[in-house]
Amino acid sequence: MKSFQGGVHPSDMKFLCENMPIEQMPIVPDYYVALSQHIGSPATAVVVAGEQVEEGQLIAKASGKISANIFAPVAGEVVAIEKRKNNLGVLADYIHLKTSEKQSVVVFPKLTDLSKEKIIERVEQAGIVGLGGAGFATAVKLSPNKPVDTLIINAAECEPYLNCDNRLMLERADEFIEGVRLLARALNVEKIIIGIENNKLEAYNRLLSYEGIEISLLKKKYPQGAEKTIIYACTKRKVPTGGLPMDVGVVVDNVATAYAVYDAVVNGRPLYKRVMTVSGKGIATPKNIEVLNGTPYKAIIDFCGGLVGEVVKLLSGGPMMGLSLSDDSGVTTKTDSGLLALTSSEANTMLPTPCINCGGCAKVCPMHLMPMYIDFYALAGDYETAVKYGAMNCFECGSCAFTCPAKRPLVQSIKLTKMKMKEKKK
Amino acid sequence: MEQLVYSSSPHIKSGRTTKKIMIDVCIALVPACIMGCVFFGWNALLTLAIAVISAVVCEFVYRLCCKVSFKQIVQEFDFTSLVTGILVGMNMPANIDWYVPMLASFFAIAVVKMLFGGTGKNFVNPAIAGRIFVFISFSAMLKPAQALIGSISGDVVSTGATALQNIFKPGTVSGLTNLDLFLGTGVAGVLGETCKVALLLGGVYLVIRKVIDFKWPLIYIAVTGLFTVCLNGFNFEVFLPSILSGGLILGAIFMATDYVTSPNTLVGNIIYFTLLGLLTAGLRQLKHQEVVSYVILFGNLLVPLIDKYIVNKPFGEHKKVKEATK
Repeated sequence: MKSFQGGVHPSDMKFLCENMPIEQMPIVPDYYVALSQHIGSPATAVVVAGEQVEEGQLIAKASGKISANIFAPVAGEVVAIEKRKNNLGVLADYIHLKTSEKQSVVVFPKLTDLSKEKIIERVEQAGIVGLGGAGFATAVKLSPNKPVDTLIINAAECEPYLNCDNRLMLERADEFIEGVRLLARALNVEKIIIGIENNKLEAYNRLLSYEGIEISLLKKKYPQGAEKTIIYACTKRKVPTGGLPMDVGVVVDNVATAYAVYDAVVNGRPLYKRVMTVSGKGIATPKNIEVLNGTPYKAIIDFCGGLVGEVVKLLSGGPMMGLSLSDDSGVTTKTDSGLLALTSSEANTMLPTPCINCGGCAKVCPMHLMPMYIDFYALAGDYETAVKYGAMNCFECGSCAFTCPAKRPLVQSIKLTKMKMKEKKK
Repeated sequence: MEQLVYSSSPHIKSGRTTKKIMIDVCIALVPACIMGCVFFGWNALLTLAIAVISAVVCEFVYRLCCKVSFKQIVQEFDFTSLVTGILVGMNMPANIDWYVPMLASFFAIAVVKMLFGGTGKNFVNPAIAGRIFVFISFSAMLKPAQALIGSISGDVVSTGATALQNIFKPGTVSGLTNLDLFLGTGVAGVLGETCKVALLLGGVYLVIRKVIDFKWPLIYIAVTGLFTVCLNGFNFEVFLPSILSGGLILGAIFMATDYVTSPNTLVGNIIYFTLLGLLTAGLRQLKHQEVVSYVILFGNLLVPLIDKYIVNKPFGEHKKVKEATK
């Protein structure tokens, strides 16, 4: 079984909605579509208040190389372009749409010329970004400036609770594989590897029937699905520190991204909806649902039967790397793979105690860093020394803080170090 | 919604806590303590009790003096002082005067642990420091106690000396077989170190509970044994007596593996435990007496140095170095 060195074994909690088929979330009266749903500069709105839009109509244009187009999730009226708090608690621009009674859809024409350039152009037009969480423009990823020989599809889904990629592979396997082949075509590579963890054997067996694609069974371990670890597990290539996957001739894309590419190329539908997992013991009926961008979290929670029990944490994304929400006023974006409500029995909210120097954090770090020193120096305000112990190489998987017996917020210290160093550069 | 906790990721954490680890260590020490009481009688239990109670009381009093509320001290009590107390007690001969273990615990907790910042900040293992403190101060009083239960091979009267001294003195008939040394029958010594089988049982428990890595005590014990063999002209007969005598197994499993005072890296740990083994064997040969606690103390002081120079190399780092040299 392929794997990497380090990592942790959190209880995967997938059973909560592993077998729930993907459901369509019904249309709600109001949508708030964020202009910044990706890494890079926010899109520029191309509609004004009072304008009528159709489902799939371009409402905000990419404003730079690393940006993405944004489309109306429903037909309706633009109420306003307003400021709202995003998941980080920062004010950002949102387009407020009021759903109209009559629905109409616009799509791109089906792409008949499947050349490399045309596929990349369509991916860019359709506003596709990496749906695994980072939200990096896929079109940019598909035009690497270094030779690439392998496409890895990240189907590890190592975050506990999340099932959306698994369900997508099970229910829409043909479409997903078609998307994978389109990505490989755009990259002009022969070798395609799908990396999948061994807790999704049903999907694994299903995928084995497709020819010309190598299915790599990976050991169930967190963070198996991180970019650098999945590249190492599948190809034994090591991405250099500070480097990109293309430095070792690899491009990694997520399952949902591949599906979105299929949708954009074959059906002509731009990216404005995705599958997400709504789970946690605090959700009455955990579900996998297909939601439109900009759906309020509150509506999603209500659709899943509301909150039950003593909910202590509401999360956007997985429990290891997701964002903690201060309330349910947020809305979904392209990169939301999960909405979790954790009860006190699942979320550990114990206060930190002194470090006992057990070295557990260094043992589990997939990047082989020494988080205890980073934490120590960051708290002492010596950020330069913290960087010497590798703070900048951290991708914040949270394995260190997960395993820490003293429950120290190690990731927070690392994030602080990164922020302070960024400030210093300015 | 107002009860939501807003914090940085990760939002789930493992069940491993400092408290649970320390409780596991206490459980692992229980067999050796029981055997100590069996071999050395009620005095052993009394000595252990004095050491443990004074260690815990000392921590509480120290923190009360630091104006921490009693409720908070109880809440934050992480069992580390309990472990220290047990280890101090195990390092005392059973027939010692009551104030000696008390002073050892006081030195371990107040001076070595609390003055340097409490849990996780002690610069050497507190129990070792406490033991050495009283062994230097009261050396005349600290004669190893004689076990109440005699050698199972039966042909030995009282030697009074620890088994260790006999290995290096050819001609001295100790009469103790390796099995005696392993079980602790007829062996003189401090109350917690004589029954090796109980200590190993505790060690296996700690390894199963993933509190310690089996590699480290194994390296320490094996290096000590093998180096003793080398120093005695490749006489393999001294291998088992050398590892089964004195405080080596107690030190290797429970004291040298202390998280705070052992290195943080794989390579660092290999160096540290090998060094401990070499020093133990070498100094025993020179001094003809038990040196494990002094060796561990010395090793503890080297740990910051090891940790300064031996640091993990980040994943993918070597490629960057290569590129830079191009």
